[in-house]
Amino acid sequence: MSQLTINNVRIAGMSACVPATVEDNLMLPIYKDQNEALKVIASTGIERHHKVEPGTTASDLTVKAVEGLLVKMNWEPQDIDCFAYVCTSRDYIAPQTACVLQDRLHLRSDCCVFDLPFGCSGWVYGMSIVGSMMSHGTFKRAILVAAETNTLNRNQRDTTVRPLFGDAATATALEFDPEHSRPMHFMYGVDGSGFEAVWAPYGGMRNPVTHEALEEKEVSPGVFRRGIDMVVNGMDVFGFAIKQPPRSLKELIETFNIDVNTVDLLLLHQANKFIDEKIRKAIKIPPEKTPYCLEEYGNVTSASIPLTMVTRCSQQLTGEEQHCVACGFGVGLAWASMEFYAGHVMIQDIITY
Amino acid sequence: MNIKEFIDNFADQFDDTDRAVFTSETKFKQLDEWSSLTALSIIAMVDDEYDVIIKGNDIINSETIQDLFEVVKNLSDNA
Repeated sequence: MSQLTINNVRIAGMSACVPATVEDNLMLPIYKDQNEALKVIASTGIERHHKVEPGTTASDLTVKAVEGLLVKMNWEPQDIDCFAYVCTSRDYIAPQTACVLQDRLHLRSDCCVFDLPFGCSGWVYGMSIVGSMMSHGTFKRAILVAAETNTLNRNQRDTTVRPLFGDAATATALEFDPEHSRPMHFMYGVDGSGFEAVWAPYGGMRNPVTHEALEEKEVSPGVFRRGIDMVVNGMDVFGFAIKQPPRSLKELIETFNIDVNTVDLLLLHQANKFIDEKIRKAIKIPPEKTPYCLEEYGNVTSASIPLTMVTRCSQQLTGEEQHCVACGFGVGLAWASMEFYAGHVMIQDIITY
Repeated sequence: MNIKEFIDNFADQFDDTDRAVFTSETKFKQLDEWSSLTALSIIAMVDDEYDVIIKGNDIINSETIQDLFEVVKNLSDNA
C-alpha cells in the first residue's frame, strides 16, 4: 500500500470563485417533462450548477480566487514560494497554465509553479504533492489551486453530463508551520484498466484532432458528442465509485488508526448524492458530519472538496481545529484519501466572476 | 443465490411497474420505467446483496433478468 505522512504543513486559508451564470436543472431543455428532471434531481441531489460564459476559462476564475485569497490572508504575490494548478481544462495545449498564471498573478520569477492535470482526485493528490515539497521547510507559503470548467470540455447536448457538472475555481493556502500543524496522512489508488470510464478520446497524441473528431454525432438517443468531448460512462463510474472510495477510506482508517467517532468532517468529492451517501454509510459517519455543496454547484471535479469547505464548513474551519477525512475519486480511474486537521483557517467568502 | 430472490431484488428497484411483470424472461430494458437511473439502482442492489460490482457492459449485454442473474452468479462464484 502506498501511504504517506506529511509533517509541518497546515492549511492557512481558502477561497473559491464561481461564474455568475446559473443553470437550473428543472429548466433544462433536455427532459421530456418536469417529472423526468425531478427524478434526476432526486437521485443525484444536484439542482443547479454555475457555468462560464464563452471565452472564460478556469484560469480566469482562478485569478479571482487567488486574488481574493491573498487579500484575505494579507499575503503578497511575492510571498508565494510554490504554486500548483490542478486542472484538466487547461488554457492551451502548451505551455502549462501555471506558467501563464505566474505572470497574471505577479508571482515571483523564481516561484516553483506547475500544473497537475488530475481531475476529481486532484485536490487530495495536490495536497500531498505540495505538502510534501513544503514539509522540507524551505518553501514557507504555497497556493494549491483546484479549478475546472467542466461545461467547456463536455458537450452541452450530452444529456448524461449536462445536469451534473459545473464550473469553479478554488485556492488553498498552505503554510510551513511546525508549531501549529499536525500530521497529514494519505493513501492512494489507481485502476488504469478503467480509463475509458471517464475520458476525452480525441485531441491528444494517441488520437489527434481530425475533422471527424470535431463533428457532433448522436451516440445514443438524445446524447450528442464530438470526439474531443469528455465521455462519462455513468454505469462504470458508478460501479467504481461505490466500491473503491469506501475501500480506500477503510484502508486509511485502519492504517492510521483513526477513531471515526472523533472525525468532525467527512469531505467527499461531490460526485452525486446517491454515490456519496453510499460511501458515507459504508464508513459509518453520520450525515451531519458530511457536508454537501453539490445541490448548488453540481460536480465541479477537482474543486469539489475545497468548494465544499469554503461554502459549507467555513464556520467550523475558522474556529477550533477540526478532524477531517477526505476522499477524491474519478477520472483515471484514480482516487486518494487523506486525514488532516484544520482550524483557524482564513476563509474568503465565495467570489462570483 | 437463487433466481426468485434475484427477481424480487430486481423488482424492488422499480416504483411504478407492477410486480407481476417481473419474471426471469422479462426484457427489462424494454420496460417503460427503465432508465439510466434504474441501471444505477441495479448496480447498487447487486453490490449490496451479492457483494460484486457489475459493469455497464454487463447490463448492456443482458437482455433478460435471467441473463443478468447469470452474470452476477458467475462473478459471485469467482469472487
